[in-house]
Amino acid sequence: MRPLIALTIANIKSFTRDRAAIFWTIAFPILFVVLFGSIFSGGSGSTFKIGWADQDGTPASTALRAAFDSTGLLKLTDGTETDLVAKMANGDLDGVIVVQPGLGAAFATDGTTTLGLRTDPSQQTQSATIRQVVSQVVNAANLQATGKSAVISVDDEALQTNNIGTAAYFVPSILAMALMQLGVFSAIPLVEQREKHILKRLSATPLNRATLVGSNIIMRLLLALMQTILIVAVGGVLFGVSIIGSLALVAGFVVLGSVTFISIGYVIASYAKTEESANALTSMVQFPLMFLSGIFFPIALMPDFLRPIATLMPLTYLGDALRQVMVGGAPFASLAIDALVLGGWLAVSFLISARYFRWQ
Amino acid sequence: MIMIGRRLLRGYRQRQVTASGSGRPAPPVWHRELSADTGAPVIEARDLRKAYGQIQAVDGVSFTVARGEIFGMLGPNGAGKTTTVEMLEGLRKADSGVAMVLGIDAGRDPDALKERIGVQLQASSLYPRLTVTEVIDLFGSFYQHRRPTEEIIEALDLGERRDGRTSELSGGQQQRLSVALTLVNDPELIFLDEPTTGLDPQARRLLWDLVRVKKEEGRTVMMTTHSMEEAEELCDRVAIMDHGHILEMGTVSELIQRRFKDLSIRFDTIPGLDDARLSALPGVSRVVHEDGEIALYTPDVASSIGGLLAATTAMGAEPKNLAVRRATLEDVFLELTGRALRD
Repeated sequence: MRPLIALTIANIKSFTRDRAAIFWTIAFPILFVVLFGSIFSGGSGSTFKIGWADQDGTPASTALRAAFDSTGLLKLTDGTETDLVAKMANGDLDGVIVVQPGLGAAFATDGTTTLGLRTDPSQQTQSATIRQVVSQVVNAANLQATGKSAVISVDDEALQTNNIGTAAYFVPSILAMALMQLGVFSAIPLVEQREKHILKRLSATPLNRATLVGSNIIMRLLLALMQTILIVAVGGVLFGVSIIGSLALVAGFVVLGSVTFISIGYVIASYAKTEESANALTSMVQFPLMFLSGIFFPIALMPDFLRPIATLMPLTYLGDALRQVMVGGAPFASLAIDALVLGGWLAVSFLISARYFRWQ
Repeated sequence: MIMIGRRLLRGYRQRQVTASGSGRPAPPVWHRELSADTGAPVIEARDLRKAYGQIQAVDGVSFTVARGEIFGMLGPNGAGKTTTVEMLEGLRKADSGVAMVLGIDAGRDPDALKERIGVQLQASSLYPRLTVTEVIDLFGSFYQHRRPTEEIIEALDLGERRDGRTSELSGGQQQRLSVALTLVNDPELIFLDEPTTGLDPQARRLLWDLVRVKKEEGRTVMMTTHSMEEAEELCDRVAIMDHGHILEMGTVSELIQRRFKDLSIRFDTIPGLDDARLSALPGVSRVVHEDGEIALYTPDVASSIGGLLAATTAMGAEPKNLAVRRATLEDVFLELTGRALRD
């Protein structure tokens, strides 16, 4: 136990004193979140695209529509509830308002009715704003109509969207990317230690190799944890993206993803002879892993010839799983498939590095 | 770190109490209990062989090293010294032959051996971003039995750089640190692979003194070296290796006397004084030309010099820079390997 702890501490110290490593694993992903977040969520400005499903069709509902329009904050699109919900799920709308039949009657008879509102829970700030606008309009309508009890109450319902191009899509993607880099970059210090005969020197001590590898993995997992917290925090504070899924599942996929990419890092270290070649190989591996996977663009939007490649990439599945468990994004594959594909990559890279990794 | 430090300190105090329990003040007992001296050799290499592809790096090497001995291995680059040492350290498996070290078969059970030996590797650097103290602490954590970091820092005179990163150390300081790390587990047997390369004369003396202290404590040191001076100064016995073979082995004076019974008379070349005349001088057994210098080998220095002076006076000349010299290890080495050792 003592060598494992001492070696892990030594690895962490070495890491934290390496400014380049700190930049790539901590600062770079955060910059990415800020950058992508501002690019893709800045466009909507202060107007929201809202679907308007009028199932009442009375002058009262038309008046209500005019009231919403007059705020200038909502851009209404008419349609049936089914169509509008589908559009919202695709990310074309930010919310849907459903006017129940009987609104006109309720006004006429002093009865009550409900107004259905669907917003995206992963878009916290946006949804809160929409809810606020809707309730203000409804309150005004209530006052104007009767001056007494509330005619309309708002029935708020969450609808998870697949809102491409928003922070909710990118935060899990960037986390997946950061974990991938953290993993494959483990090749570089390893090759450096081999090239400088540090591994050889260690093998002249009673330290066993499992402890050596174990301490590297523990260090990387601690860093992965830190990255996860930082990225989720930045995504939450700046763009209102919050984790709606199970934290245990998020942690599970963070660990599985990290270990998978660390073992890919060991494969790189098995083939790279010098630190320079490890650097080159790591770049050669990480860029296709990143851009040929579905983490930044949905696979459906890719050209046909790239789709099969993206379907094989481990990062596609890590990004998919994190998106599902963090923000409830529409699945590309089921979580079980995601876990299985990542586990497959892990097993294969483990076997390759166990066979070809050289200690001296 | 702090916790480990405290634990060490506690261990230190306990040991002090135990030591002074005998009634009279005794120095703290710190050393690893050396295994009982059975008179068996600490190192026994039997016909070790190792090939890398087509190259036979070590080709049938056998020798023994006794407890408390400082054993040196000399040889040009590529002679097979490092490979031999690494087989003894359990870092490389021999193709054939047996390496018994501290009674353990180094090829079969290297893990049992590693706890009890200290190893310095040639050209091994250390964690570049850790400090001297941190690296020594780290290596100490790998062993069941360890000595205090501070004591090791003192022994290698690294106190001024204890908080400096290893990457910022000078070549000599890095070398001293790599020797320091061989001491963390208080080993019975220490392997040093060219330990004084890159050290200034003062640091070299410091290291030699340290090695002698280890010898006095009953520890054994096996080292490879490029330096003839180091071998003559420090080693109880040396083996000269080339092309994977041990060419000669013994104490330095044995090696010299085995090959060079004669002394040499040296002087600057005198034009017109040919080898035939020189060979005919009384007592001269051999005439050698070396860099503008003539060396006459003779068992009888007095009559050879007498003859030489008579001959030169007759020519109206005078031998310049005349000197009489006993053969050195370097002469033995040159004769055996045909090349000079270069640092």
